[in-house]
Amino acid sequence: MKLMLTYIRRHPGMFLTALFFLSLETAADLLQPTMMSFIVDNGVKHQNTGKILEYGMIMLGITAMGALGAVMRNIYATRTSQQIGREMRLDIYRKIQTLSFENIDRLQPSSIITRITNDVTQIQNFINGSMRIMMKAPIICIGALILIIWQTPRLIPMLIIILFVSGLLIAGNMKLGYARFNRLQQRLDRLNQVSREFLSAIRVVKAFQAEKQEEEKFRDASMGLAEAGVSAMRVMAVFGPLINLTVNLGIVVLLRISETQPPGEIGKLMASVNYMTQVLFALGMVSFILNSAVRAVASSRRVAEVLEEVPAQVNQGSDYAIEGSITFRDVSFSYAKAARPAIENISFHVYAGETIGIIGPTGSGKSTLINLVPRFYDAAGGSILIDNTDVRQIDMKKLREQIAVVPQKALLFSGTVLENLRWGDEGASMEEVRKATDAACATGFIMALTDGYDTRLEQEGVNLSGGQKQRLSIARALLRKPKILILDDCTSALDAATEAEVLKRLRQEAGDMTVLLISQRISTVMRTDRILCLEDGRIQGMGTHKELLESCTAYQAIFDSQIGEEWSREPDSGIKEHAVRQIEIETDEKSDIGWTAGKTQSRKGRCGL
Amino acid sequence: MRTVSRSMTNQPRPGRLPRGMPGVKPQNMKGTLMRLWRMTKGSRRGLGWIFLLSGLASGSAILCPYLIGLVVNRIDGGNPVGQMIWLLAAVYLGDWMIRFMQQFHMAAVGQRMIYHIRTSLFAYMKKLPLGFFDARQHGELMSRLTNDVDNISTTISDSLTQLIMYAFIITGIFCVMVWLNILLTAVAMLSVVLIYLLTRAVTKRTRKLFREQQQILGELNGQVEESISGLTMVKAFCREEAMIEQFRANNDRFCEVAVKAQIWSGYLMPVTNVINNLNYVLIAIVSGLMAVAGSLHVGLISSFLLYSRQFSRPFVDIANIYNNFQTAVAGAERIFEILDEQTEPEDVPGALQLTRPKGAICFKNVTFGYLPGQKVLNNVNLSIPAGTRVAVAGATGAGKTTLINLLTRFYDVNDGAIYLDGHDLRRYRMKDLREAFGVVLQDTSLFGVTIRENISYGRGDLPLEKVREAARIAGADSFIQRLPQGYDTVLTQGGAELSQGERQLITIARAVLMDAPILILDEATSSVDTVTEQHIRKAMLKITEGRTSVIIAHRLSTIRDSDLIVLVEDGRIVESGNHQQLMKLNGRYAMMYRTQMGLL
Repeated sequence: MKLMLTYIRRHPGMFLTALFFLSLETAADLLQPTMMSFIVDNGVKHQNTGKILEYGMIMLGITAMGALGAVMRNIYATRTSQQIGREMRLDIYRKIQTLSFENIDRLQPSSIITRITNDVTQIQNFINGSMRIMMKAPIICIGALILIIWQTPRLIPMLIIILFVSGLLIAGNMKLGYARFNRLQQRLDRLNQVSREFLSAIRVVKAFQAEKQEEEKFRDASMGLAEAGVSAMRVMAVFGPLINLTVNLGIVVLLRISETQPPGEIGKLMASVNYMTQVLFALGMVSFILNSAVRAVASSRRVAEVLEEVPAQVNQGSDYAIEGSITFRDVSFSYAKAARPAIENISFHVYAGETIGIIGPTGSGKSTLINLVPRFYDAAGGSILIDNTDVRQIDMKKLREQIAVVPQKALLFSGTVLENLRWGDEGASMEEVRKATDAACATGFIMALTDGYDTRLEQEGVNLSGGQKQRLSIARALLRKPKILILDDCTSALDAATEAEVLKRLRQEAGDMTVLLISQRISTVMRTDRILCLEDGRIQGMGTHKELLESCTAYQAIFDSQIGEEWSREPDSGIKEHAVRQIEIETDEKSDIGWTAGKTQSRKGRCGL
Repeated sequence: MRTVSRSMTNQPRPGRLPRGMPGVKPQNMKGTLMRLWRMTKGSRRGLGWIFLLSGLASGSAILCPYLIGLVVNRIDGGNPVGQMIWLLAAVYLGDWMIRFMQQFHMAAVGQRMIYHIRTSLFAYMKKLPLGFFDARQHGELMSRLTNDVDNISTTISDSLTQLIMYAFIITGIFCVMVWLNILLTAVAMLSVVLIYLLTRAVTKRTRKLFREQQQILGELNGQVEESISGLTMVKAFCREEAMIEQFRANNDRFCEVAVKAQIWSGYLMPVTNVINNLNYVLIAIVSGLMAVAGSLHVGLISSFLLYSRQFSRPFVDIANIYNNFQTAVAGAERIFEILDEQTEPEDVPGALQLTRPKGAICFKNVTFGYLPGQKVLNNVNLSIPAGTRVAVAGATGAGKTTLINLLTRFYDVNDGAIYLDGHDLRRYRMKDLREAFGVVLQDTSLFGVTIRENISYGRGDLPLEKVREAARIAGADSFIQRLPQGYDTVLTQGGAELSQGERQLITIARAVLMDAPILILDEATSSVDTVTEQHIRKAMLKITEGRTSVIIAHRLSTIRDSDLIVLVEDGRIVESGNHQQLMKLNGRYAMMYRTQMGLL
């Protein structure tokens, strides 16, 4: 309710204008029976045709006034409510953008979507309704009661009883309805979640012949929703007719009392009966309105929950030009739901311009580690320094502007290829874009698309293959010309030849960037300046390929699994000798293949499509 | 994965015109309604009861004003009201009972109908081919499953019964009115004509607007969904402002259409109310004049005034109901659009049963493209003897995954044929065929249930021991054990709390458990660390013993042991043979291999 009021308050002019016209419209409704009673009591009783026509004309005038009010009210009410809906949606959306991942995890993505769509629509309808019927009902109610009392003051006690009983019924309706409509909304959330899950897992569903199972799940969710719906509707079914009955019995009492009425006032009696039916109509509306109010309040609470969500991170840092060195000081972090920390007591230092390979088994905390650098999450313990400044002291936007991340799962957006690439740098010239896509080995396949750079991507880029998406995502990051480049196993969907080529070109592009390179493959990380080997969220070793091979058992195991075994299997192939020589050259002399040396060299190679 | 591109989705599909195009021929309202009616089949008995109760309720609506008129007459004549008043009270009590029963009953019938339509829509949707899902935004499909179904059902259950009730009331009151006084009835009819004309004028405009409104709403939902799932990148690239701008633009567009639609539809209620008032005025004047002329008793004026309100109120509501119909019909059309989609091809008559095939696979001159004219696979010929371990290597986009898509019949070949154990795939029952394949896909799809349920996905309830065994083979057991709740850990949808590699392990365990005669691994271990991968590989060697298996992998170390390695390039097979043969050939495979070993 408070939420709705704040939004309504932003448009006082429009809202009040709508109410003004609504009152005009309602007044026209209310005046009709009174005028009618004049016709009967002054015209019919006295056989005065002139009076009948005179009052008739006044009634027509009143009707015209009502028409004006109705039309104008419709325009204003609609505009106001739609405007409010629009603002509310935008505010939620804006809010989402400021939230951190912790918040999003907590609110659940599917629930956020229903909030921004269904809930806002619900509120919007309610506000619109409030300017149509909601305000009209009390006005009619009060107006009609005043007019009845004015014409037949004897009815006051009866009216008080009717109001009291109706009030009780409405309150009861309200009390019972609220919880039920709230549950209805939760069940709707659940249904959305189930269908969303089904849609995104459709391949697996089909491959595993699990259509039946998914259907069951959907049925359950639909059933839950239906049950909640039934119980909510039934509350209405109990109270609505009861309110009806109360007022109808009022009419009976009214007629009974009027038995002793002076015969000259028959018009007044007729008007009173008419007013009673109007009251009935209005009270019927009240219960309807309250039911939708219950819904709207539930919705607005859910909307408010998003709007009031406090971003888990504070951004109070200042502008800072990054040079590129990174220090982790005793850093620990665990995710909200996880029982064990994702990383624990991590300390290391990266020099500006250095390329660090990060390797380790699945779930060893590699991604978590790098997520802390651009502050996707904040470390729970310890601190991360960039050039000796705590990342929390740097303005978040400035920080992220100087860091580029290429995630494991390439995330693209609907829009053209070019638009997606320009996320890296909005003002990038075509030439720069081209250079970036060249470096990511993406130019070839982009040109092969129907409209080249202007090809539209569907939602999340579903019309590209995983490898193509990854390469676009690399190009996008390069276009940013960051000080720190984070590559999170971002070549996993590329075939080996393309991957090798992409990595080679990346080395050339790296320049004086600090690069954090996560990979599963020894062959990818062994050419970096130093390698960080993680296991179970702890550092197992850090050093050059050669150093780790000698000292780090975890690293040795990985090496053996990928290359070592090959040596023993094909002893004559010359692979071992070649590899050892290669590695020695790289680590000792920084050959043209190593990251650092590669930065000064450039070689043309083949890009896979 | 590759999917149908936009150019395809923009083409008009049979039976419907592209949305939002100016000058679109009016949609088939009558046809849509008939179809809707047919969908209510299961609920017709319930509806029948409601209709009956509605009839009774309308009876009291007709009776009461007449009784009131009689009472007024008596009072006017100075007579005691007597029994009449008790009769009126009794009718009101009966009216209350009926209304309560009707509404109470309707809650169940209406919800059951929603449930029915929604689940049948889903049941149909699950039969649609993959291409359908690939070409659509999920948010938009979801809004059909929820919003549109709700709209339709509310219209049927609430509005339709109201409609029936009103039909009773209108005919009833009309008869009584004619019986009481013909001239006044004619006056009352005037308003009906006016309301009819108004409704027609308004609805003509609103239907298209409503359709447009729903469509933009779907797009808006899509954008919200996209920006939430891609939030990492939005933040990493500081695109918050740009996303907000984009949303604002769509939001404004939505608001603009919605305002138009609402204003037009919003005219119905108030303007019909005005017409009602006009009617009231006319009856007051005419009946007044008639009473003066002595041809009418005062009590009759009272009855008529009440009747005229009751008589025209249904028309106000009918106008309103009709207005709701706009939204509902637009929603129904969007639902029927799904129901009109071609489902996955039915099994051919006399389709072959397939139980534990030996697994001899043969691609014969297979050509395929996702779009007309496009060739992702071009005349592929490949013969895989039963029990062979095949590996498919090749550059990204070369068509590796497409091979799998065709083999599992996610898509059907354009030309040529694929044979399994000597018969065309299309001759087998789809159910048997899919069961023959244990598939691990590149995209890990995990559900918001426990890990245990995720692994036994599609297999029903299995003893924990079997699930653990599969996880052990897949190399997932150890990390699962380390989770605080172990196998009972409930994942969030998509398994966000696990690393990509862990997710892959779970999907591998899923396929292991399926124990299918033919195993397909599409980049199944791309994110698993190599130590674990080696374990999996060894386990896989055991599992694939004697089974046909197709593996797509980038890491050649994964596929080295395969009996047959096939190198795909630009939709063609360029090299095939085992590792030694291909190394000797010293062609493209050998080069790739050396690259991977860090030798290039």
